[in-house]
Amino acid sequence: MASKRPIRSLISTANSAVRSTRQSQHSFTPSSSSACTFSTSTTTSAPEYDTEAAPRPRWQQTPARMVAPYRIRPLPAGPELKVNDDPRKLDEVYVRMLGQSGDKVLSEEAKWLAVTHKSFDHGRRGFNDRLAYLGRRIVSLQTSLALMSGPQTIKVDPKKEDQYGRKPFVHPALSGLQGLTHEAKHDVLNKTRLANLGRRYGLDQVMRWKPMKADNLQGSGADLVLTTTIYAIVGAISLERGGEVANRVVKDKILNPLGFTTSAS
Amino acid sequence: MKRLRIERWGSQLHPQSTFSSRPRCICPSLQSRVLQPHNRRAQSTAPQIPAEATEFSDVLTQTSPEEPKMIPLETLPSPHPHVALRSAKLSALRSRLSLPPRLPLQSLARTLVHESADSDPNFNNTSLSILGSNILGYYTTEHLIANYPRLPTSVLFAAQYAYVGPKALTTIAHEWGIESAAEPGGEVDPGLLQFKRLRAGEWATPSQPSFRNKWNQSLTGKIVHGDEFGSYKSDLSERSRNRELPGVPLEDAASTFVRALVGATYLHCGPQTTKRFYANHFLSRHLDMSTLFDFRTPTRDLSRLCAREGFEAPIARLISETGRKSRHPVFVVGVFSGKDKLGEGAGSSLNEARVRAAAAALKSWYLYRPVEVTVPSSVEGVDPNSPEGAKWIPNHIDCGEVIV
Repeated sequence: MASKRPIRSLISTANSAVRSTRQSQHSFTPSSSSACTFSTSTTTSAPEYDTEAAPRPRWQQTPARMVAPYRIRPLPAGPELKVNDDPRKLDEVYVRMLGQSGDKVLSEEAKWLAVTHKSFDHGRRGFNDRLAYLGRRIVSLQTSLALMSGPQTIKVDPKKEDQYGRKPFVHPALSGLQGLTHEAKHDVLNKTRLANLGRRYGLDQVMRWKPMKADNLQGSGADLVLTTTIYAIVGAISLERGGEVANRVVKDKILNPLGFTTSAS
Repeated sequence: MKRLRIERWGSQLHPQSTFSSRPRCICPSLQSRVLQPHNRRAQSTAPQIPAEATEFSDVLTQTSPEEPKMIPLETLPSPHPHVALRSAKLSALRSRLSLPPRLPLQSLARTLVHESADSDPNFNNTSLSILGSNILGYYTTEHLIANYPRLPTSVLFAAQYAYVGPKALTTIAHEWGIESAAEPGGEVDPGLLQFKRLRAGEWATPSQPSFRNKWNQSLTGKIVHGDEFGSYKSDLSERSRNRELPGVPLEDAASTFVRALVGATYLHCGPQTTKRFYANHFLSRHLDMSTLFDFRTPTRDLSRLCAREGFEAPIARLISETGRKSRHPVFVVGVFSGKDKLGEGAGSSLNEARVRAAAAALKSWYLYRPVEVTVPSSVEGVDPNSPEGAKWIPNHIDCGEVIV
C-alpha cells in the first residue's frame, strides 16, 4: 500500500539514512596532501585505520572516496591504453627534454600533473589545463620575440619606397617587425609540429590520458594532448622556477628544435 | 582688408600647379630632400597657407628641371610619419599616458593606424598589436594564476576577457581620450584612430568556424585551439583582411590600438616600463571575481570536492530561519564538513539556501589567494643567485577544478 507521506520527505529521509551509515563507516583523517584551508578543527582517526600505510601521493592513486566499491557498467569494447605509472620513465623523458637534471626542475607532483590530461581518470587526479593555458601564453610571447629577432627575418629597407612614395619610419627597436605576422605565428605554433616535437622527446609514452579509441590514437586527438602537455610543462616551470628559466626552456627546447635560432638570446 | 583666398596664394607660389586648394604631397623623387619640418622660409608668414605649401616653395626653388608631381594627401592611406612630429594630439597623448620620450611620436602614430586604413605592414599597427596582445595576455594570465591558483578554466577565460578583452580595451582607449577619424586618409591628424568603419547593417552573419564540430569542442581543446579567451571566433580584422567585410567596428580598431601601444612601449622602453604601464592601466581596474562563477549543481560539485580532498562529506544544516509559513520566508543554511562550516547561504526556500551555501563554499575554495605572490615575470632577466632572485617564492600549483 502506498505511503501517504509526501515524496520529498521520503527522499530526504532516505538520503539522511544513507548518509548516516556512510559517515560511520568512512570517517578518516584527510590526506596530508590536501591544503587544509577549511578545517581548523583536528579530526580524530578511526581506530581501524591506524595500521594503514602512509598516504600515497595524489598522482599515484584515485582518491579513495571517489571510487565505487565495484563497477556496474560493462567495460568498453576495444583495447585500453596502458598509461605509464613508473616515475623513472617520466624522469627519463624530462631529462631528454630539459637536459641534465631535467628531472629536478619540477617537484614530483608538478611533474606528474603537467603530463596528465583531463581525460585521465575522469580528472580525479588533477589535470594540466591551467598549466597549459599559462604555458601557451609564454610560448606565444617568446615566439613573437623570436620571429622579430631571429636572423631569418627580413629587415625593412629604409630607402625603399612604397607605391605612394612613402618611406617607413625606421628605428632600431622596431627592426624585425616585418617578420611578425599572424600567418608566421600559425606556421610556427602549428599543433602538428609541436606534437611531433613532443614525440621526439618521448612525451607520448609518458603522458596520461584516455583516448576515445586506443587503437586509433591519432584520431582520438593525440596531437592535441601532446601540445597541451608541452605547454603545461612550460607553465609548470614558470610557476615553480620563474619566468627566466621558463623563457630559456622555451627558446632552447621548443623554438630551437623547431628551427628558430635566436641571435644572442 | 580683402580676405586672401588660398587658391590665389597657391597659384602665385606654384605656377605649374593646378588651380586647387587641396593639400598635396610631394612627388617621390624630391621627398627625401624636402620634408624638414622646421624649415620655414620668410615667405611663409601668411597664415592661410597650409604647411605643405610652404615646403613646396622650398621644393620649387631647388627643384630639378623635371616637373614635380603632386599627389593629393587624401590618396595616401595614412599620414606620413613625418607629420607625427607636428601633431599636438600625439604629444598630448604621450604625456597624458606618462610614456617616456624614448617612445617616438612616429611609433605612436603608427599604433593608431589600423590595417583596414592602411594595408602596408610597415605603416599599420598589426605587427605591434600581435606583440602587444601576447604581452598583455602573458601578464594577465600570470597575475591571475599566481594570485588565484585554484580558479576554474572557464572562470579564467572570463577573467582574462574582463581584464584585456576587446571590450575592456575599447573602454581603456576611450578613457585615454582617443578619438577616431571619420574616414582614414593621409590628411587626417595622426593623433586620431584611423580605421575603415563598418557601417550599420554591413555585417550580416558571424562566420562559422568550419574546422570544428560543435560536439567536439571541449574546454581543454579551447586552450590550444582557441584564443586567449577560449573562443574560436576569428576577430573581425581577419575577416576584413580576407575581404569578407568592408570595414571593422570601433571595438576592433580600439583594441588593436591599445595592444599596439603596449607592443611599441615594450620595444622602445623595455619590459620594466611596460610592466609598470600595465600595472597602472590594466591591473588597477577592479574585477569582482566572485561574480564570474556560474554553477549548475554546486551541491554535487562540493560533494565530489570533499571526496577528492578527503574532507568529511558535506552536510547542510539549517542555522536559522524566519517566516516559514509566511509569503517571504528566509532560511539561513550552512554546509558543514564535520564540525567546520564550509559556506553559508540564505534563501527563500530550504533548497535555495542549501544551494547558495554550497556555491559559497565552492567559491571560497576556488578563490583561494596566497598571501605573498611572486609572478614569473618578476624574475625575468634576474640571476637566481642575486638578492632579487632570492625573493622568488614558488607558486602553488593546484590540481584542477572538480569534475563531476
